[in-house]
Amino acid sequence: MRRRGARPFFFFPLLLPLLLLLLLPPSPAWPGTDGYLAELKETAAHRLLQNDRYWDILLFYKPAAGGRKSLVDDPKFFLAPGGKRDPGAELSATLDAMFDDSLSPPARCRFPARYEWLQETLPIDPVRLPAPECPMLDNSLHAINPKSASLIFASGHMNAPASMFGHTFLRLDGDYESPLLSYAVNYAATINRKDNGIAYAFKGIFGYYPGYYSILPYYVKVREYASMEQRDLWEYRTNLTETEVRRMALHILEMQGIYSDYYFLDENCSYDLLFLLEAARPSVTLTDRHKGFFVTPIETLRSVLAEGLIDNVVFRPSTARTIQHKAEEAGEAEVGLAKSLASGDVAPSTVVEGPLPPQDKAGVLDLASDFTHYLYLKREIPKDLYQGRYLGILAARSTVAGHPPESRPLPVPAPPESGHLVSRASLAGGARDGQSFLEIAYRPAYHSLEDPVEGFNDGSQIVFGEAAVRWYPGDEKVRLQRLDLIDIVSLAPRDALFRPVSWKVQTGFATQDFPGGVESLVYVLNPGGGFAWKVSPLGIVSLLAETDLEVSGRYDHSFAFGMGGSAGIARQVSDRWGVLGQARYIYGVLGDREQGRRFTASLKAPVRLSRNRSLVLEGEHVEGPSVHVGTIRITWNAYF
Amino acid sequence: MKKLLITVAALSLFAASYASANQMNTGCGVGTLIFQDTKDQSTLIQVLAMTTNGTFMNTFGVTTGTSECKQPSKVVQHERLNEFVQANLDELARDISAGKGETLSTVAELMGVPAGDRDAFNSKLQANFHQIFPAPGVEYAHVVDTIVSVSNQG
Repeated sequence: MRRRGARPFFFFPLLLPLLLLLLLPPSPAWPGTDGYLAELKETAAHRLLQNDRYWDILLFYKPAAGGRKSLVDDPKFFLAPGGKRDPGAELSATLDAMFDDSLSPPARCRFPARYEWLQETLPIDPVRLPAPECPMLDNSLHAINPKSASLIFASGHMNAPASMFGHTFLRLDGDYESPLLSYAVNYAATINRKDNGIAYAFKGIFGYYPGYYSILPYYVKVREYASMEQRDLWEYRTNLTETEVRRMALHILEMQGIYSDYYFLDENCSYDLLFLLEAARPSVTLTDRHKGFFVTPIETLRSVLAEGLIDNVVFRPSTARTIQHKAEEAGEAEVGLAKSLASGDVAPSTVVEGPLPPQDKAGVLDLASDFTHYLYLKREIPKDLYQGRYLGILAARSTVAGHPPESRPLPVPAPPESGHLVSRASLAGGARDGQSFLEIAYRPAYHSLEDPVEGFNDGSQIVFGEAAVRWYPGDEKVRLQRLDLIDIVSLAPRDALFRPVSWKVQTGFATQDFPGGVESLVYVLNPGGGFAWKVSPLGIVSLLAETDLEVSGRYDHSFAFGMGGSAGIARQVSDRWGVLGQARYIYGVLGDREQGRRFTASLKAPVRLSRNRSLVLEGEHVEGPSVHVGTIRITWNAYF
Repeated sequence: MKKLLITVAALSLFAASYASANQMNTGCGVGTLIFQDTKDQSTLIQVLAMTTNGTFMNTFGVTTGTSECKQPSKVVQHERLNEFVQANLDELARDISAGKGETLSTVAELMGVPAGDRDAFNSKLQANFHQIFPAPGVEYAHVVDTIVSVSNQG
């Protein structure tokens, strides 16, 4: 090891505080660095720095069998051979690396957060261990210019209930007024394009994809979420100080190109961001709040709010929401005209030369350009057509002065954290064909149409693993009533501009009625697709075509496959209660065609008691060949 | 310029392992949006990716780079402005045509237009929309150069 540090010492002796000099222990190696390294290691060992909380945060150490283990899996991240499981060895190796001139880039540049922490904590005397130049690091820091930070929550897509879990990422804000010029910090799994759905799910759940942090301009993320995926963004401005944010940025920069095995359910996008926030402000407890098997972005957001890190929130609507609002502001004829402009059926000059007042012309053309852009993003019009049409509309718009009148600002929905918690336990009592029963149910996640809608997308449902057990006191029977593996419903209303398809898929075990009052558990697979509309005063009206496969020994040929459809209404009457009605008919096609034929009608009235309590009153009637069963039930739900 | 070169060099190094993922730009004019290539992804994968927040690209893109397109004149060597305009051409065109919007105010900020002069700046650009965006294939270099010259006119 080459000795360094001597030159600055001799050139600038006067800059050193005299006291410090006196405190330095005499050493044969003085003023060389070998002795200093040993001295720093001794201090670190004496003060048990390897057990310091900040060292745990920077290295992602968590308690594990036999000590602590880092969640990072990339060997490049560790300077000691066994660093993943040995915080002390890693600390010692980090100090060694700081004194190693042969490293390129120097350890201080590669691991700037570790360096700064050690420098402040030990402390390291910059005269005895001069800091090397880090041009790349300095340039990245200069470009990002981190001054403050925001936590961004991307809410679910209207017509993709699976995205309901949301997504979180960080934004580092600099001096610019415009947040578009900030940088987004994202943690995500890098997935293999060639994998199919099953391989994807398996690899994702069992940690076979590498997770990396990335930094991208915020405008790229806004386009990705707000414009391409049509998801609203909630920008939670943190109260982290400039020093804290800078510390976090250094840590982010040292994580570049470092992977950790990504687990969809727990070590995921939102969980790993918490380490960054802890690196900024180690006094908060974030990662230790999440110990379950399943960490959702909304829960991590709640932790961040609970730790008092958030000052305020800004809502950035998706493009579709903006377009919908503009369409509501414009008249029906104007929306039709805008649509014709976007489809190329009407030339923009027709609007400019037409009879509309200037403000309405501006409104039509603004809506038309937004909608044309939306269609292009949805790849519903090809690029060459889009370019000409879009610029044509904009050129016409530039000749019209003023802005469309806005009678009211875009309505901001309830923020995601205002929604109910996602696990649910239920107690129910009711009667089936005059026989009373009690029922208990548990659902790990996430939201169903009968749950309080505040903070969730209206018309979206995603239920995982709900199990219900029913007890008939009359004959002392206890039985598994229902086990929903997955139950997804997406009712997306169609309007003049948007034409989404509504769909559902449900699979699991359900209790079915058979002749003679017999009930039996059958396996069900029930997908469906169709359309929905908003019709006042009925709410969301839906019509779905469905198929229904049921497997059970009670059926002839052990299965029944039927086709049919359902009609439903879903109306939120007030904040407190709503109505869900459905009529469904399935006609037996294959297998036990007789028993496969069934008509079901149900009516539910969910009542919101508080954010995390609700009641559901319901009645259902099932009519089939020699089956006529009516059930009434009242359910009390607690969300936790 | 040296700083810029170092930054560019540094970023190409970071991005080297994700080379394929970085080929996001498909041209230089309007409609040059960054599409993720979804041709070889099944709908299921896309739905799953949305659920679980997987991604096909992960990069440290502190700057996005504008090297593959024609560069603006020497007068406008403002890397941040160039990058932003190139990456947001469609949104900028929309805002200029309407005389307001977040993308337009971001450009005004990057150009250092004082708050008090923003309205005049916006109107000038709106009035010169045809010059700034003469044709669909317009390159960002022309857009930047024209915005600068138009905003400097009395």
